Amino acid sequence: MKRTVLAAALLPCLAIAASFDSGKTLGGTNSPIVLEVFSSFDCPHCKEMHDDLVPLLVRDYVVSGRVCLVNREFPLAGSGHPYARAAALYATAAARIGKYSAVADALWKSQATWAINGQVWETVATVLTAAEQKKVQALAKDPGVEAEVRHDIDEATRDNVDRTPSIFITAGGRRFMLPGGVPNYELLSSVLNHYLGQ
Amino acid sequence: MTSSSKTLRAVMLVLRIALGAVFVYAAWTKLRTPWELFAMSIDSYQLLPLKAVELVARTLPWFELAVGLLLIAGFCLRSASAATALLLAVFFGLMVRAYAKGMEINCGCFGANDIISWKTLLRDGSMLAAALALTVLSFVQRRNATAR
Repeated sequence: MKRTVLAAALLPCLAIAASFDSGKTLGGTNSPIVLEVFSSFDCPHCKEMHDDLVPLLVRDYVVSGRVCLVNREFPLAGSGHPYARAAALYATAAARIGKYSAVADALWKSQATWAINGQVWETVATVLTAAEQKKVQALAKDPGVEAEVRHDIDEATRDNVDRTPSIFITAGGRRFMLPGGVPNYELLSSVLNHYLGQ
Repeated sequence: MTSSSKTLRAVMLVLRIALGAVFVYAAWTKLRTPWELFAMSIDSYQLLPLKAVELVARTLPWFELAVGLLLIAGFCLRSASAATALLLAVFFGLMVRAYAKGMEINCGCFGANDIISWKTLLRDGSMLAAALALTVLSFVQRRNATAR
């Protein structure tokens, strides 16, 4: 019963599904706040956010349907980030078959390894069945998946994102970016409560 | 009024209006959003405990607004310009420290997307120089007025 309630609460935010990949969203269908997180899977600060902050957000706001969390891709580019884009493509492909969370968790967990040795697919494959692996490998080469990642990058660039994690809050008819880096949870919580009218 | 005192007044007018406008704008960018956003910027400097961060975030924008308005109005000019110079010296010192440590953080000057770089240092350094000049000039003007 408890699991059913949790699963229902974590259904993709239908209200914003038109503009975001519903496979990458967590939250209630009519959440008053949308929190977009632009991350790169090879970024240590993003891993810190995913490991420390996201679970608290899910527990305190997402499960209760007050915040919809949207994961968006901003794979860092350049010689220091040779595998970030591949990771984003696999995660986006996995989202198409409902396995985004599992793949993202695996990528965060083993970030220190694949970000160095380049074994992105090997990391992704650990949480997929053989059939799912085939689908994800095919989808990762799909122009639609590539276009989705490109779309996230373009939108982030348009909004002056130049580092990760970058977080946007949409609430009360406004969308604004938080100061860069991993925010202090107490302060973030206070901002969310402000917009929730608490 | 001599031509040198006219020039002095003109320079002071430009400096105080420019600095005052910048301070009012800086205050406005902070006051129009929840104070916690500015607190996040302050917190990213990793200098103050959370309670102190909250106190600064809640009070500093109002102080900036007051100083900015005083500068524009030309009221209590010596105190206002000295306060401006002191504030900018603190801001500049903190930004130089963060930049030297390689911290890629928001400076917290004018909203969320103002990452510390050589450009922000140049901007704030110029403002500090202007505030110091205004402070000196305001005291010089006062001394000249007293001497007459």
